[in-house]
Amino acid sequence: MSRKEEGLRRSVTPWGSYSWGYADVGADIFVALGLVFGAAAGASNVAFLFAGLVYVCVGLAYTELASAYPVAGGGQYFVMRGLGDMLGFVAGWAVLLDFTIDITLFAWGCIGYLSHLPVLHVLDASANPAVHFAVVFAAIAALALLNVVGVRESTAFNGMVSALDVVSETSILFFGFLFAFRPELLVHSMQTGWPSSFQLMNGISLAIISFVGLESISHAAEETNRPASIIPRTSIALILTILIFALAYSNLALGMQPWHAIPAGSGGHVHDFWRFLGFPENQDKAVAVMASNIPYFGALAALYVPVLGAILLLISSNSGVFGSSRIAYSMSQFKLLPAIFERVHQKYKTPVISIVTFCGLAVIELIFAALQGNAGYEFLGDLYAFGAAASYTLVFVALIALRLKDPLTPRKFKIPWNIPMRFRGERVEFPVVGVIGFAGIFAILIFVLYTHHIGRIAGPSWLLLGIIIFTVYRKSKGLPVFGSQPRNWSADQVGILKNAGELELMDELVEKLKTRQREREGPPA
Amino acid sequence: MIHLGTLTITYAGIASAIAILTALIGTLYWMLHPPKSKADLVAKKAETQLKTQLGASIVVFSSDIRSEHMMVLASKLARGQRTVLLAAYVIEVPFTLPTHAPMELEDRAALDILAAAEVIAKNNGCEVRTEIIHHRQTSEAVLELAKREKANLIIMGSYREGKYTGAPLSRTIETIAANAKCDVLIGVEGKHGTLLVEEEPEPVTATVPVLHAE
Repeated sequence: MSRKEEGLRRSVTPWGSYSWGYADVGADIFVALGLVFGAAAGASNVAFLFAGLVYVCVGLAYTELASAYPVAGGGQYFVMRGLGDMLGFVAGWAVLLDFTIDITLFAWGCIGYLSHLPVLHVLDASANPAVHFAVVFAAIAALALLNVVGVRESTAFNGMVSALDVVSETSILFFGFLFAFRPELLVHSMQTGWPSSFQLMNGISLAIISFVGLESISHAAEETNRPASIIPRTSIALILTILIFALAYSNLALGMQPWHAIPAGSGGHVHDFWRFLGFPENQDKAVAVMASNIPYFGALAALYVPVLGAILLLISSNSGVFGSSRIAYSMSQFKLLPAIFERVHQKYKTPVISIVTFCGLAVIELIFAALQGNAGYEFLGDLYAFGAAASYTLVFVALIALRLKDPLTPRKFKIPWNIPMRFRGERVEFPVVGVIGFAGIFAILIFVLYTHHIGRIAGPSWLLLGIIIFTVYRKSKGLPVFGSQPRNWSADQVGILKNAGELELMDELVEKLKTRQREREGPPA
Repeated sequence: MIHLGTLTITYAGIASAIAILTALIGTLYWMLHPPKSKADLVAKKAETQLKTQLGASIVVFSSDIRSEHMMVLASKLARGQRTVLLAAYVIEVPFTLPTHAPMELEDRAALDILAAAEVIAKNNGCEVRTEIIHHRQTSEAVLELAKREKANLIIMGSYREGKYTGAPLSRTIETIAANAKCDVLIGVEGKHGTLLVEEEPEPVTATVPVLHAE
């Protein structure tokens, strides 16, 4: 594999690694809460629970893989290494879909949250769709421009915003449960608002959105100090944080007695509060609406939650811009995409073609979304869920494949519940959680295809387009389409651990490789 | 249920709020305290050792020992470590004079050097005490001072006594290094490395005085 000779600086601390992931996945609840309530109604907490359990399995898989293979490619690299070049491409291409949707969806959400401020109500998508479109478009263009001229995201800024947001969300939940939670109302809401099976499946497939982005930690693995030790902690902490937030928000919303019986913005109509959150006009700012309806605390939250949410969503949107260009760069290095995506601007030294291409795609997605009026936000959510479910499905298969094909690589963190067995003469451990996770995420992928009318066409079409590009490119370069290029993974792995500063693990791997070689050669004659 | 004015607080709400807060704080605390690696442990041990070493440090000056650059280093090391720095200037009193004999020129030079040491310490954000010592032998004075101050570290610059004395860093410095009961940090300037680096003769032009024609 190709690696930078000078190596990336290992300067990311535990909090830096956590905030790197949080800046991406932490913003998801701001987007997903309203969408899930719009679809799963009184069973939204169940939808979040199901998606959350799958997410725990996804998170554990990423934790094991990112700590064992601390390289920048993330899921695309794991799948390529475990399942070959073509499936590695498919995983990377699905992630690219997610990143481009990420740019649009979170830019849309950012403007949505700002519109919750009375002075910026003009930006509301339902009230002024043309103004909203223009501002989201401008936000995407500005992010593209900033990334082209090379304004780097500050890890310190990310860390500060993440810290503020963790405190803010914890405060919303703390005061929400303390001042407004009625357990009997939760039971009543679930009984009266229980959806049909179709709606529940739709809700589950949208709930997975609130957990997308954990892989950002694995993208930063190459720059993380002592990744094999730090990443398991930061990943698990992130999994728990997001799971707590998602479950707590959904249960609070169902059992919340709002400050005013008729919430501001409801047009004077009395609704169940959770139903009010799921209305199309509130979907893109549900957390802010909820926070502002908590007794007493809401008066303060109404002022800062929209702003903080907008900042976090903008950071997340920006992570889509540089995430897509990073993945495209990594894929082109492995000859999965044309080398044009490796080209950097002569003056700014940034991958300008990648940035412009993927921001251009984001704008196309924005146009498609805007054409659907109030359903536009959900359309973006559908595609986001499809991309995530498709790539996570492959990551689970890669996890199982790597456990069988590469048992020697030291895994400082290993998913629990394994079945010891022998495979091709070597002792391996088969991950039961990998199978459970695969079944769960595959079910969600089926839910997405079954319940999302546009997602079921647009998602697979995206993958088909990618496979055509891959085939044409590989044929033009004389490279195998269905097979993989020969690579010395063992030597690469030693190099990866050396670069990561995991010298003890490197020694362990070298010793295991020597032992295996001695065993294969047999005793000296 | 608890009624507080217009608020109605439920026990389930209180329990949930506390559980969420505890779970999040516990998770983040656990994340921010990962197990130490072998390299971390070695580094931690070295840092603890250095803190002990820096507990009480003496920076030594004399007419032969130039330690200004080491004073800067000592100040930077001492900053934020609660170290008590002592800058001591030793004046060697010849045997032809009594030890309490006034030596105005040497005392004046000592005051200048110690004033500079104070400025260096101040600029680097640490405090320093100063002392002028009259003694027959510099090495003996420094060793006695270290004993009296219960010093953990003696810091000093160096000077070259001569190639063939058997003590390239000077006998004074070597005596201190050999007999001190604490750690000694000696800053050897590059130009003193006569054993390892071939000495280059200084350019003649630099020493030739400029003569002005009448």
